[in-house]
Amino acid sequence: MTTLTTTATTTLVTRVRDRATATPNAVAMRHKRLGVWQEITWATYWDRIQTVGHALLALGIEPGDRVGVQSENRPEWLILDLATVAARGVTVGLYPTNPEAEVRYLLTHSGARIHLAEDQEQLDKALAAADDCPELERIVYLESRGIKGRYDDPRLLFWEDLVRIGAEHRAAHPDLLDTRVAAAEPDDIVTLVYTSGTTGPPKGAMLSVGNVEFAAETLMSGEGAVSPPASESDLVLSYLPLCHVAERFFTTWFSAFGGVQVNFAESIDTVPQNLHEVQPTLFFAVPRIWEKLLAAVRIKADSASWLKRRWARFWLARADRLGATLVATGGRHTASSRLVYAVGWLLFYRALKDRLGLREVRHATCGAAPIAPEVLTFFMGIGVPMHELYGMTENTAIATRNVDGRIKVGTVGEPYDGIELRIDEESGEILTRHGAVFAGYWRDPEATARTVDPDGWLHTGDVGEWVDGTHVRITDRLKDIIITAGGKNVAPSEIENALKASPYIKEAVVVGDGRKYLTGLIGIELDTVGEWAQQRHISYTTYRDLSERPEVLELVDGIVREVNERFSSVEQLKQFRMLPKELDHEDGELTATQKVKRSAISKTFGDLISSMYGGAA
Amino acid sequence: MTTPTDEKTTSFSGHQLEETTRRPRRIWGRPGLVTAYAQDMAFFDTRAKLVAVCALVAIAALMPLQLEDDILKLLATGFVLAIGAIGLNLVTGYAGQVSLGHAFFVGVGAVTAAVLNGDPDGRRLGYGITFLPAWMLGAGLVAAVCGAIVAPLATRLRGLYLAIVTLGLVFIGQYIFAEWREGTGGRGVGRDAAVPTLGDVDLTVNGAYTEEQKLYWLMLVILVIFAVLARNLVRSKVGRAFAAVRDRDIAAGVMGVQLGRYKLLAFTISSFYAGVCGSLLYAADGHFSPDEFNLGMSVLFIAMILIGGAGTISGSIMGAMLLALLPRIASELPGFFPFISDRSTEHPNIFEVETALYGVLIIAFLLFEPRGLYGIWHRIRTYWKSFPFSY
Repeated sequence: MTTLTTTATTTLVTRVRDRATATPNAVAMRHKRLGVWQEITWATYWDRIQTVGHALLALGIEPGDRVGVQSENRPEWLILDLATVAARGVTVGLYPTNPEAEVRYLLTHSGARIHLAEDQEQLDKALAAADDCPELERIVYLESRGIKGRYDDPRLLFWEDLVRIGAEHRAAHPDLLDTRVAAAEPDDIVTLVYTSGTTGPPKGAMLSVGNVEFAAETLMSGEGAVSPPASESDLVLSYLPLCHVAERFFTTWFSAFGGVQVNFAESIDTVPQNLHEVQPTLFFAVPRIWEKLLAAVRIKADSASWLKRRWARFWLARADRLGATLVATGGRHTASSRLVYAVGWLLFYRALKDRLGLREVRHATCGAAPIAPEVLTFFMGIGVPMHELYGMTENTAIATRNVDGRIKVGTVGEPYDGIELRIDEESGEILTRHGAVFAGYWRDPEATARTVDPDGWLHTGDVGEWVDGTHVRITDRLKDIIITAGGKNVAPSEIENALKASPYIKEAVVVGDGRKYLTGLIGIELDTVGEWAQQRHISYTTYRDLSERPEVLELVDGIVREVNERFSSVEQLKQFRMLPKELDHEDGELTATQKVKRSAISKTFGDLISSMYGGAA
Repeated sequence: MTTPTDEKTTSFSGHQLEETTRRPRRIWGRPGLVTAYAQDMAFFDTRAKLVAVCALVAIAALMPLQLEDDILKLLATGFVLAIGAIGLNLVTGYAGQVSLGHAFFVGVGAVTAAVLNGDPDGRRLGYGITFLPAWMLGAGLVAAVCGAIVAPLATRLRGLYLAIVTLGLVFIGQYIFAEWREGTGGRGVGRDAAVPTLGDVDLTVNGAYTEEQKLYWLMLVILVIFAVLARNLVRSKVGRAFAAVRDRDIAAGVMGVQLGRYKLLAFTISSFYAGVCGSLLYAADGHFSPDEFNLGMSVLFIAMILIGGAGTISGSIMGAMLLALLPRIASELPGFFPFISDRSTEHPNIFEVETALYGVLIIAFLLFEPRGLYGIWHRIRTYWKSFPFSY
């Protein structure tokens, strides 16, 4: 054992193994079953990884073979992921929301030999795609409801049976997996992370053992993503799709490298409740979640009884001032703001944060998409230490982050220590170069060559600029920049985020490439606008009906005017139309990460767009 | 290649993963992070509850050193009534079986205790058992047997029909109590109640502490014991079965709750509590008459659980205490409202006000707070729990 740890490459697996040896009875993760949070210790976790790893060996997984996973976040996801790495295989995560066509593409493209489908829903997608995937040999399922006794495909394998195969193999060849683990090399690919594909089909970024080690060490260093670094006493809530690099970091890798206790949310719908129960100390969320939390506070405070409403308004107004102070000081309290916050904490903020599930949060992080500064300021004001960071799949999420005391709202922070980051003078594109730059796109050397230049610089595709020489501000995606007919360059995401900061607006898509002026497609937030309409006794039936109410149009018009005032006249929306439906992943309008696919939008809603430019509707 | 696994092991996460020697612990500062079913069902599921209840019991235990004897006597009576109210709440509030016959079981308990404890050489039947737990529990057991005999009726009847049948029980009981002079002393005469003694100390005689102080402490201890037992019962499998029967007996039956068995159990336990209540109820007065176990007493118990809160143990205690203190509250009224007289010859007098207040309380609670005093408490608690929002 000791010889293994000293001579072999450290991987995720050896880190979990060492932790299981050091603190076997500490809690590695919790998942909720029948209303009770069941605890899984490090010893059990490691034991399971070994058994499943042996099962993969028994099924003939060779170094470099791909194993697919399409499941909600749950312990088995992590176990299979780590077991795959132990067998020197490559984990390929699929979004549980990926429809059948995308599942077919991902399974075929990755060439997965074994695929884990969580339940009947996922299994049906996998089976429909399976015949087009010659490399797919086995489909493992976790929930047998609706499957057992009804499906007789020879490729199917129930998880319990997989575990049994592993146990038998482990008894017969106890050392085989250890040998495989010890043979791991820094260049081994551990995972394919498919990009969401806003423009074309998803591309599978290959992340190696070395990438993950470098990234994790950077994140866990003194001034890493979280300071002080994540440790055993930290709790996280795992609820975003694990196939995304951000959640993989905050769940699997934080757990393996920092020993944090991972708590799995029951589903995305129960996140508010699970958050309240778990009260995590580290919390990562995408802008959409932060916006929803903010909207929930506004709505609930407004619909509270008279006294509570007054009380909440008073303290939320103080929070706005506190937030403004913190923005000005980079996140440090002044003497007077500290005093106001201390009183407010006692009388309001503590209870508010408790209800939101953010009471114990010592480091909150926002990333993966641009966020409106108002949202960050709000949470800073109520005492949630918000930090925006920036990274992408191709650099294993390592680029910049905001550091306590030097926070600049509106920027994504400073580059990590020990990495190289520069902004191209000509195009304004952000380039990074460090040990966590990915090994290339899977089966796509052409795209790889386009992304990483011969000097090793990764072209992120994001346009940015330096703020005060230290912080980076992202303008937009390079390919999203709109050039109007007048030749002006406009970054649509700034306008879109300013609009989306309103609790009533869920989607905003700015159009205007090659046109005389900018226009927008706007989708309302059904919950908040519904509530708003109810208070004004406006009756409605469907989403579309509500969207087209004259009162709602007036409401949106007001928000658009307000936002327009903040921008120069070329950046103002001259017209807008309401989206007649909620944008959806299934219909191809959004990616799995809820990013808008602009090309699909302009195709689907082409008539709406042309009507704004005087064309025939 | 593999043998298919048993259907039962389908929820994999349920089995091997939690094979651990680690005992689930509470996680500091996170009451919602329940890591074991036992934590969820704990007697005191939050620390605040534990502290509050301990403080309340401590204050109650120290009260006799501060309060006047006449109030202590009322409070002690309230404690005993609370035991009876808990009993009725078990069968009516938890198991949903309306019972108007509670006075009958209280009567059975009072008579049994008097008979067991009575002087063997006296005019009435007596066996001279002075050991308090013996006659108290004996009274409870005899009442429980009566309850078990009546219970089969409840398996056939529901709602109003059951109420009428249990009402009949009160009339049968009154007839027997009136006619069995050997045991009860007969109508209008009555007999001496059981005398509580602990060791050689007669609690009804003033000593280092007064009679009222000693009885107060005795009743408090017994109430705490019976309240804890009842609370434990209702948070167990039995309690959940009771609630299932109450909410919809057919659905409960379909889910596998044996209706007959649990209705029998509810009546038996309820009657046991009533018997214990009856055995102690007249300790302070030392005398009772069989006329007292009438419909009025049954209604009094119903009023207690309605005002206190149906389906709650703490509500039963609150309701019993309020109604026990009602005469005292009424007698304080002339001080605040001079037009109320404390003489029975003038109108309106405190006795009329007391009767009216009793009625008004019932109507007001049913109209405005059907969940009783407990409901008011619950509302206050929810107000702060949901702070700073309203839901």
